[in-house]
Amino acid sequence: MTDYVLQAEDVAIHYGGVKAVDGVALTLEKGQIRGLIGPNGAGKSTVIDAITGRRKLTRGKVVLRGEDVSEMGVVERRMRGLSRSFQRTSIFGQMLVGKQVELASHKMGVEDSHADAKAVLQELDLWRVATIEAQELGYGEQRRLDLALALVGRPSVLLLDEPMAGLSVKESLDLAQHLKRLTSSWDVSVLLVEHDMDVVFGISDVVTVFELGRVISSGEPSAVRADPRVREAYLGSAA
Amino acid sequence: MTLNRSLLASVLALLLGVAVVSGVTSGTVLSLFNQAIVYAVFALGIGVLLKQNGMVSFGHALYFGSAGYLLGILLQLQLASAETIIVLTLLIITVTGFVFGLVIVRVPGVAFGMLTLAIGQMFYLTASRARGFTGGADGMNIDWPSTLFGMPVSQILKPGTMFLISWTTLVIVMFLVACLLRSRFGAITEAVRDNEERARFIGISTLLPRASVYALSALITAIAGVLSALNTGFVSPENLHWSLSGMALMMVVVGGFKVLWGPALGAVVYFIFKDILGDYATHWMTIFGVVLIAVIVFSPTGIAGALMNWLFDKPKAGKQAAHSH
Repeated sequence: MTDYVLQAEDVAIHYGGVKAVDGVALTLEKGQIRGLIGPNGAGKSTVIDAITGRRKLTRGKVVLRGEDVSEMGVVERRMRGLSRSFQRTSIFGQMLVGKQVELASHKMGVEDSHADAKAVLQELDLWRVATIEAQELGYGEQRRLDLALALVGRPSVLLLDEPMAGLSVKESLDLAQHLKRLTSSWDVSVLLVEHDMDVVFGISDVVTVFELGRVISSGEPSAVRADPRVREAYLGSAA
Repeated sequence: MTLNRSLLASVLALLLGVAVVSGVTSGTVLSLFNQAIVYAVFALGIGVLLKQNGMVSFGHALYFGSAGYLLGILLQLQLASAETIIVLTLLIITVTGFVFGLVIVRVPGVAFGMLTLAIGQMFYLTASRARGFTGGADGMNIDWPSTLFGMPVSQILKPGTMFLISWTTLVIVMFLVACLLRSRFGAITEAVRDNEERARFIGISTLLPRASVYALSALITAIAGVLSALNTGFVSPENLHWSLSGMALMMVVVGGFKVLWGPALGAVVYFIFKDILGDYATHWMTIFGVVLIAVIVFSPTGIAGALMNWLFDKPKAGKQAAHSH
């Protein structure tokens, strides 16, 4: 039997009669990257919200390393190793870069929070701007800082909501390489929501395709790319 | 500002207070100074709430006036020594502030301001009508004993001594708040203010820090209330009225809330207008209103913010240039 780090079972989020997400099942193995793609409004970000506890489940459950966390709040899930970044950069604009990452590390219970913050910042090439206010950083650096805040305390599961949004091609490729390296060196599993197909199919171990709140295809990138339903619904016949 | 610099600035400020008392011989002037400093402490309370929680209170007179009433009532009951009663009063108000905070800091933006206004006015009306307990609209005298902290009250109430007490209190409170805000607690509250959602996603429970800052601001305001009660020996419903909260808020806006000493500076500016300009212009508030508008338009971070920009803008630009290389 496979040991899953994360299992989302029959997850549903309904807003009155609108089924934003309906009966979604997802798993993540240790060190795995699962790409999550689909058209705008397909429910990808809502699934991340559901898994992290930002939105209450209408139905289903979320299991993190064998523990049902469905009824837990955001903070409790984060303390258990479930972390995320945001579609819109979410950092502490008026705080120094180093200070906020160190604070995050401290809250995660890391004994030497300074060393942990330094390691994360070095990994994401942000250590050189540690003493600068976050609002003074460039957009690409702010995106990496968002990721750094999600990475402190070495989470076991990282949910990334369009981390490449607004980045240049080079910045996207750099970040993708960082992610690939992190999954192997830090043993972190990643659920990646992203519109950049080159990135998703380039670094994901498995890909899940969403449409109208439901999973329409899931499997290895090559199999998903060849799936006629996916080609029709999202990638287009030229893909 | 580092801790050592804060300490040095505090020591220098204390020496400045001594110099003022030594240099100013007029009791009237010292009384006016004292009044300004009491309100500087009040404004600091509101400023801390705005600086660390990003919340505007229109009802902080609640804690200013309640401190006076609690002192008056407890001293009348003679349940403990006056010194114990002062400590007890501050403790009760801090705990009450924390409990209120747990409920009202959940409410965002304008609604929070309206809630503070409603709660403050509720207590104002209660104090106005509970004649048997509070003296009603006539207010109540505070029966201070003949000695306080080993000093004769008659000596304490001399303008010079009272000014020194208020000034020292302001400097010590400001130093302690500066230390607190430099601690991990300060960083947590800053994070919650900047981005509450992200704060939760780095493992911070956001309610307690917000409620704690609210309680801290209530405590500082209550200290101002105690100083006022000591100075005047009297408390009335006016000490609870929203207009007093509004006045203190104006001091914060004029002085600026980004730096700790901004609200105190605003209080000083306010009293300069009131006491100096007031002698020549009946409608001095109109002129102060124009100043308020000018500050909001040209320096939203207040006079202190403008001063800080003027003093430190060049080094900051230099830092950015260094970063870009």
